[in-house]
Amino acid sequence: MIRRHPGLLLLPALVPTLLLLGAAVVTLGLQSLGLMPLVGAPRLSAEAFRSVTPDLATSVGLTLAIASAATALAAVVGLGTALLVTSSARSARVLGLAAAATVPIPHLVAAAAVGLLLADSGVLPRMLGLSAEQWPDLVAGPWWVAVVLEYAWKESAFVALVVGAALATRVARYDETAALLGAGRVHRLRHVTLPLAAPALLVASTISFVYVVGSYEVAWLLGRTYPEPLPVLAFRLFSSADLAARPEAAAVSVVTGLVAALVAVASLLLARWREQVRA
Amino acid sequence: MTRLLLVAWFVAPLVALVLWAFADSWAAGSLLPDDWGRRGWDGAAGAGLWLALWRSAVLATVVMLLATPAGAMAARALVRVGARLRAAAAALLLLPAVLPPLTVVLGVDVLLLRLQLPAAIGVVTILVVQALPYTTYVMYTTYLAHDVAYEEEARTLGASPARTLVRVHLPLVAPGLAAAAFLALLVAWSDYVVTVVMGGGLLLTLPVLVASNAAGTGNEPVVAVLSLVAAVPPLALLVVLGLLGRRSRRQPVAAAIRPRPPVAAVRP
Repeated sequence: MIRRHPGLLLLPALVPTLLLLGAAVVTLGLQSLGLMPLVGAPRLSAEAFRSVTPDLATSVGLTLAIASAATALAAVVGLGTALLVTSSARSARVLGLAAAATVPIPHLVAAAAVGLLLADSGVLPRMLGLSAEQWPDLVAGPWWVAVVLEYAWKESAFVALVVGAALATRVARYDETAALLGAGRVHRLRHVTLPLAAPALLVASTISFVYVVGSYEVAWLLGRTYPEPLPVLAFRLFSSADLAARPEAAAVSVVTGLVAALVAVASLLLARWREQVRA
Repeated sequence: MTRLLLVAWFVAPLVALVLWAFADSWAAGSLLPDDWGRRGWDGAAGAGLWLALWRSAVLATVVMLLATPAGAMAARALVRVGARLRAAAAALLLLPAVLPPLTVVLGVDVLLLRLQLPAAIGVVTILVVQALPYTTYVMYTTYLAHDVAYEEEARTLGASPARTLVRVHLPLVAPGLAAAAFLALLVAWSDYVVTVVMGGGLLLTLPVLVASNAAGTGNEPVVAVLSLVAAVPPLALLVVLGLLGRRSRRQPVAAAIRPRPPVAAVRP
């Protein structure tokens, strides 16, 4: 049976995925359009979207700003780490291990750790001998510093892992060849190493960005209460005692999913376009 | 210098965790805790650390046991089916990695409530689907490099399908399976938002406990201990996997069958 129809082996993974995602998308769609209220009669309306619109604009902007800042920082630090780890084999092993150890730490635990480090009663102000008043509001402050740093910390390790793996197999050979042909360090970095790292860097950055857009717990724990990133807004509306807020929570969730999907598609198109330009 | 700064960047939050976890008292302005001890550990035990650890371990194990074989089977199918089905199925299977977990869980929460399923079943279902993109992807790359001829040879030599699976197929893909299982474990172990929405705050896994304690103020040692206990198991597993991987590269699991070329299968 399976020999003749290998596609059957797809079912244990495909069926739950399709059922779950299908159910989630359909329910969110119906709820956000007023067709599945917890109380009252179903009625098609864009009321939920209309009533969250003022908050939505701020939240989309804030979410994209946090994700951009965190991803940019993670990409720079992660790429730097990957370059150092792959260039000098032995002395950079400690750095490679430190980055690898950061990857499997749960984001919530990482957020708690960053809080213990950066809060005004945290380890850093203590070590620097600064009082709570002298220390800037990094946690729950106006610039979302602790939130951005937590994402940047965890995702830089992820970027380093992905880019490092892409470079490890090929960079040494190309680099040597370029050096033999007389290319200097700057030239080799610009024309050999960076082009080799670019596709992996784009993939890793996209995954990080999409993750940050949809992630709840870090911004909830380390951010301020207003304005809220999209997932925090969605979760607050969802758990609000007012049952009429459920369609609004669904509307915000729909927007969150759309933003994440759009970013993923945009990155896919960018990767394709790059390939075509080079071909 | 750059290297030192980067190492500091990666370890600083972990240093904060370890320092707080063993600090009994730490006056503002002191470089290090004034008193070391186990106050944080007693507090964490009182908050339900060990039960939460057990719950998290069970949840992660169940999700791993379901998502790894399902992902492996799907991957094996993906390398064999036609290009069109492969593209469509791969896109669908990767979708849960793009859709935020919060969006999915807020969508199906009402539905699962109406079906009156226990919260734990809902949590497991959602986390398995969240883990499938990772297990499928890892096993897909494994099966791309895997040679079916070894299995065919074993079958030709009279081994039953079950024996071929256990003695030939699984040992050959074992490193991939280990990596896939680790990722599935990690997805479930790290989850906060799915557990807290579906469980309504009653399913106290380790991350839920960390969150409820970290949201308050003034109990830094307890938060640090809870976080440390949540961070150590994945790190320990990573070390074990690394050591196993190094050993198997030196001494392949399937050394007995590897040296023989697959051509032997068709020889009379």
